Amino acid sequence: MDSATSKLIFRLYWLLTFGLLVAVTAMMAFWTPREETMGDVQKIFYIHLPTAISTFVVCFVVFVASVMYLLQRRSWWDDVALAAAKVAVLLASIVLLTGMIWGRSAWGHWWTWSPRLTFSLILWLLYVVYLMIRPSIESSQRRALICAVYGVIAFMDVPLVYLSVKLLPDIHPSSIQLSPDMRTTLLAWFVPMTMLVVGLTFTSFKINRLHRAISEPMEEEVEEPRLVPAGGSA
Amino acid sequence: MNRAIRHIALLTLKDLRIEARGRQTIGLVVVLAILIVVVLALGLGPGSGSSGLSATAILWVAYLFGGVLIFEKTMAVERYDDALAGLLLAPIDRGSIFAAKLIANLVLMFTLALVVTPVGIMFFQFDLSVAPGGFALVMAISMIGYAAIGTLFAALTSSTRLAGGLLAMLVFPVTLPVVLVSTRVLANLFEHNVSIGGSGLAILIAFDVMFLTASWLVFEIVLEA
Repeated sequence: MDSATSKLIFRLYWLLTFGLLVAVTAMMAFWTPREETMGDVQKIFYIHLPTAISTFVVCFVVFVASVMYLLQRRSWWDDVALAAAKVAVLLASIVLLTGMIWGRSAWGHWWTWSPRLTFSLILWLLYVVYLMIRPSIESSQRRALICAVYGVIAFMDVPLVYLSVKLLPDIHPSSIQLSPDMRTTLLAWFVPMTMLVVGLTFTSFKINRLHRAISEPMEEEVEEPRLVPAGGSA
Repeated sequence: MNRAIRHIALLTLKDLRIEARGRQTIGLVVVLAILIVVVLALGLGPGSGSSGLSATAILWVAYLFGGVLIFEKTMAVERYDDALAGLLLAPIDRGSIFAAKLIANLVLMFTLALVVTPVGIMFFQFDLSVAPGGFALVMAISMIGYAAIGTLFAALTSSTRLAGGLLAMLVFPVTLPVVLVSTRVLANLFEHNVSIGGSGLAILIAFDVMFLTASWLVFEIVLEA
C-alpha cells in the first residue's frame, strides 16, 4: 500500500470515528429517555462504561506488548506498550472524571472512597507512573526493559487491586436498570469508543516510531548479549 | 536442591555480613522510619493513631519508605566495583541470587519493624496486646510481597541515575493493594475483634505467591540486561 492510499484510509477512518461520535452524542442527548431519579447526569453512564471497559483492553495491550518485549527485545513492542499506556491513562482519566461527576450528583461529594472510584484511581496511578518514569531513564534499552517489567507487574496487580478495594464500604450502584432505548444507546457508544481507542493507539504508536527513528537513527534491532546461566544454555 | 539452598544461604549471609560490618543501611533506615512516625505523630496530634486503622496505616508509611531504602542499598552493594559481574560469572542460578537478596531484604525489613513498631505503639498509645500474633502475621505476610516487588525493581533501577526515587515510584503503586488490605484486616481485628482469616488474608497470600513467582521468573532477564 503506497503512502497516499494509507493517508486517505487514515483520514477516512478518523472522519468516520468523529462522525459516529457526533451521532451517538446526539442520540444520547436527544433520543435516549431521561432517567427519573438521576436526571440528565445519568447520561454520563453511556460514556463511562464503554470507556472503563476500553481502559481494561488497552491495559491488556500494555501487558501483551511488555511480555513480547521481554521475549523478543524488539523496540517495536516497547513502542506498542507506550502507545497503549498513553491511551490507558487518557481513558482512566475520563473514567475518573465521569465517575466524580456522577458521584457529585448522586452523593453530593466529588470524591468518596467507594471501591470502584478507588479502583479507578489506583489503575490511573499505576499507568501514570508507567509514563512518568520513562523520561528519567537515560538508556533506551534500559528504559524499555524497566517499563516492560513494570507493564507486566502492573497488569498482574489489577485483579488484586479490584479484590482489595472490595473490602472498602460500597455506596456505588452494583447494577443499573436500563430501558431498551437506553440499552441501545449504551451499545451504540461502544462502536465509536472502540474505533477511537484503536485510532489513538495506532496514531500514538506511529508517533513513537517516528520519535525513535529521529532520536536513535543508528539503533539496530539486536538482541542484548546474554550470559550463559550456570549449568545450562541461555 | 541442597546446592541451591547452600548458595542462597551463602549469598544471604554475605549480604548480612556486609551490613553487620558497615551498619550503614539499618541505622539509616531505622532513624528515617522513626522520623516519619514522629512527623506524623506531631502532625496528627495526640490520640490520632490509637485506632487499629490509623496506627497500622502510619506504621505502613514508615515501612514503605524504610523498605525502599533497604532494597536500594542491598542492590547498590552489587554495583560497587562491578561485584554483580563476578556474581553473574559464578556458577549460581539467578533464582538463587533473587532468593538470597529477598531473604536479606526481609531480615532487614523485620529488623526495621522490630524497632519502629514499638516506637509507633508508644507514640500513638495503640494497644497491641489485643492480638499481637495476628498483627505480626499480617505484617509479615504483607512484607514478603512488598520485599519481592522491591527486590525485583531494585535490581532494575540500581544502574539508573535516579535509582532511589525511581524505585519508590515503581514500588508504591504496585504495593497499594497490600497496604489497603493489611490495614483493613488489622482494623477489623483490633476494632471489631474479627478474625484475620478470610478474603483479606487470601488476597495478601495471593499477592505474595503471584509476585514471588513473577519476580523469580523475570529476575534473570533483569540481571543480565
